[in-house]
Amino acid sequence: MSPRSTEMLRGTLDLLVLRTLAGQPLHGIAVADRIKLLTAGTFAVGPGSLFPALHRLEQSGWIRGAWRASDRGRRVREYTLTAAGRRRLAAERRQWSRIVEAVGQVLDAES
Amino acid sequence: MRVLDRFRHFWRVVVLRRRADRELDEELGQWADELTHRHHERGAAPVEARRRALAELGGLDTLKQTVQDERVGASWRGLPSDVRYAWRVLRRTPMFTAAAVLTLAIGLAATTAIFSAVNALLIEPLPFRDASRLVFIWSDMTDAGYPRAPLSGPEVKDLRERGTLFDGVGAIWATTTTLTGENDPEQLRIGLVTTNFFNVLGADAAIGRTFGDQDEAPGPSSILLSWPVFERRYGGDRSIVGRTIQVNGQPQMVIGVMPREFRLMLPADSSVPDGLQAWTPVRSAALARAPRGQQYLRVVARMKPRVTVDEARAQVTSIAAAISREFAEYGAAGRQLTTVALQADSVREIRPSLLVLFAGVGVLALIACVNVANLLVARAAERRREAALRAALGASASRLVREALAEGALIAALGAVCGVVVGRGLLAALLALRPAGLDRLAVAHVDWRVLLFACAVAAVGGVIFSLAPLRDLLRANLTALFENSDRRVGGQSAIRLRGGLILSQIALGVILVIGAGLLVRTFLAMQRVDPGFDTDHRLTFRLSVPFARYRTPTAINDFAQRLNTSLAAIPGVTGVGGISHLPYDDLPNWGGPYLTSPGQDESRAADADYRTATPGLFSAIDARFVEGRAFTDADDLTAAPVVIVDDILASRGWPGQSAVGRTIKIDPASSGHATTAATVVGVVHHMRLRSVVEDLTEQVFIPERQVLRNPLAYVVRTSGDPVALADQVRQTVHALDPLLPIYDVRTLDSYAADARGRSRFTATLALGMAAIALLLAAIGIYGIVAYGVARRRGEFGLRMALGARPAQVVRLALRDGAVIASTGVIVGVAGGLLVARLLRSQLYGVSPFDPLTFVTASLTLGLAVIAACYVPARRAARVNPGDALRS
Repeated sequence: MSPRSTEMLRGTLDLLVLRTLAGQPLHGIAVADRIKLLTAGTFAVGPGSLFPALHRLEQSGWIRGAWRASDRGRRVREYTLTAAGRRRLAAERRQWSRIVEAVGQVLDAES
Repeated sequence: MRVLDRFRHFWRVVVLRRRADRELDEELGQWADELTHRHHERGAAPVEARRRALAELGGLDTLKQTVQDERVGASWRGLPSDVRYAWRVLRRTPMFTAAAVLTLAIGLAATTAIFSAVNALLIEPLPFRDASRLVFIWSDMTDAGYPRAPLSGPEVKDLRERGTLFDGVGAIWATTTTLTGENDPEQLRIGLVTTNFFNVLGADAAIGRTFGDQDEAPGPSSILLSWPVFERRYGGDRSIVGRTIQVNGQPQMVIGVMPREFRLMLPADSSVPDGLQAWTPVRSAALARAPRGQQYLRVVARMKPRVTVDEARAQVTSIAAAISREFAEYGAAGRQLTTVALQADSVREIRPSLLVLFAGVGVLALIACVNVANLLVARAAERRREAALRAALGASASRLVREALAEGALIAALGAVCGVVVGRGLLAALLALRPAGLDRLAVAHVDWRVLLFACAVAAVGGVIFSLAPLRDLLRANLTALFENSDRRVGGQSAIRLRGGLILSQIALGVILVIGAGLLVRTFLAMQRVDPGFDTDHRLTFRLSVPFARYRTPTAINDFAQRLNTSLAAIPGVTGVGGISHLPYDDLPNWGGPYLTSPGQDESRAADADYRTATPGLFSAIDARFVEGRAFTDADDLTAAPVVIVDDILASRGWPGQSAVGRTIKIDPASSGHATTAATVVGVVHHMRLRSVVEDLTEQVFIPERQVLRNPLAYVVRTSGDPVALADQVRQTVHALDPLLPIYDVRTLDSYAADARGRSRFTATLALGMAAIALLLAAIGIYGIVAYGVARRRGEFGLRMALGARPAQVVRLALRDGAVIASTGVIVGVAGGLLVARLLRSQLYGVSPFDPLTFVTASLTLGLAVIAACYVPARRAARVNPGDALRS
């Protein structure tokens, strides 16, 4: 992502990460891969933005990070959505819908 | 739960920080490796792949820093460096730092010293086992003029038998005795106690034991020594315990020694001094045999666990009602007993003085904090450009706040340390200068609670004065700052803030000066009270005639006669007299009912203070006779009983008539019944013998030859310096009887000074605090006016160049300061009106709203302000227009 749009979409990034982890626990880079996959490449989340985002979400208690032994022998840090995170996701979804609707109304309004 | 997750994270990140950092490194490393791997798979060379991966991440260190900065508690990690930076800043301006630290230290030192006393006396529990269980029982004889009176032996027995809510009821009364035997004979202040007294109190001996049931058995008595006597007279030799010593000619066995720090801590008006020198038990049987009306026992009781003071009070009241009904001698008035918690009652007299002092130092500490805040505001205003620059370079507001707090914290910490150290010294000085009336202050010391309090005050003050300059700083308008060529204390809001601070300082200072003024006037009023007798040029001493060697009244009278004659023969002596109770001394009062008309109801009779006096006493203290005569040597046991009364008793007993020749019934044996009839031979003006500002109780003087009292105090009137004759007096007595010690050789003036001692002490302290407050306020005013003048030099120069006269410029310069000062005085006077009523209990002879004091306080502040403004005003007047305009 370009640095300019990072700020604007910081909240959106949180929403995307939470949604991605709702399906299954994933380790760091896999989250970026999944978002890229789901959005068909529109959102390519840079690791530089994702890494702090994950830690921020963990600090707020929406996701939980744990070390898991990976197939390659080293351990990886895997992130899971917590129950509170699930509720947060639902709330954010509703908020997002409201925003989209509102913006849509503005754009469609007779000027 | 979210809370749990957050806590887990918090734990990891703050407590196990190093591990969290390592894990962060590990995770980042993995990400880097994974990205490198992917780039490599897409065809990049290993080194290039790594480079691209790192570029994608934005730099490992940056990323790591971002995460760490966003962590909770991240802002605190910078604290040590903030503190170091603050330390460097403070060191660069040593004068400023010293001023701030010293100001704070002064405020804190005074607060620490006084709080030590407050803590030791009002907050800490009494030094006895489970002291909250202890109550003190008084006899309530308000009608007779004694709202807090002692109890009698049979009443203590009643309380013991019927007091089911008490674990134990003990009693004590103080008197004197003589240690005879080896070494010189010595008078001791001794406490006679019930055998359970120390158990009830909950105090143990340091060596040996206190009294117990075994002391009820018949046989030789035991004696318990105090540590000072043990050290002084027996050289600290522990083998004294178990040995027998001679007390008043009788053998008594020493069974123990009380600890060095032991103090009785009974209410001040119980006439039981804290520092009794020895104790002797009294058997319960002897107590019970005494007359019911003979009241001399001070009663301490220990409540059973979980009993409240109210429940105990209710039971004691019902016991009093029961015995009033059962025993006819109580008559119609009956007996009332009151019960109070010992903890509260023991500090009843000292609490108001202490709280007043505490409030005073509190105000002083506040003034000191305001001063430091002012200093910091002034300095912050000077550093605005620096702050603006740092803000422009990216320092966040929170960072500036942190640094200001770090500076403030450092000043507060240094001030606290200095304050506590100086405070300890101040406390030591205070204790050394304490008057006899405030002797109990000696228990004050600096302990953990005091240190905690000092830290708390420093912390609160530190927060206040570090945030004070920030208000201005955070509203700094960057561009305006750089355009403003004004380098000095710039910014209207900074000036206003400082002005506000000074105003509060002046107001607080006015309040302190008002308080000090009221206390000083109280002391002066007490000085002016006419006690009814003279105290100058009079030497006093006490003498206790041992009955073992002077068995008959004749022998005693004979000795007294020879003593009087020998003392009168000393050159320089102009009068000799003896009295049972010296003015203002702390012996238990002696009084009883008096009847002035036949058929008067004894149970409702008022009580009078009794004193025995020798014939020479009245002229020795220059008592003023209204009518009649003094005693003569003929008024002895062979003659009819006579008394001298005071004018108050005369006017109450026989209003409008002469009292001489009338018959009065008194109770010199303290049986509780006024059965002794005596004729009034003289009326004296009332003498304030108990205290300087006492309630005026009637007095009856009985000839010493008719009612022997032992010990007796002698007053020797001298033409020259009384102290110079002390040795001769001692030798005279020694010549008459080498085995008779005299003790408490003091001038009567010293007793009078002690009586006023507490008032003088409080007034002196208040004056000291007011002086410091004045100084601090004056410094504050000086500061702000001087800066104003310096800042406006250009303006003044311009005005003078345009024709303004120096006087006009001065007026301009001082106007702001004058406005602040006068507003401050008004606010201070208003505050004083609110606060003065709290002082009422400490005042005598002056109203809390005394106009003279208020006006004087305002004028004093006014003068201080004028003095402070003098130098800046002169500087303003001497501004050279040319120089000022050129600079």
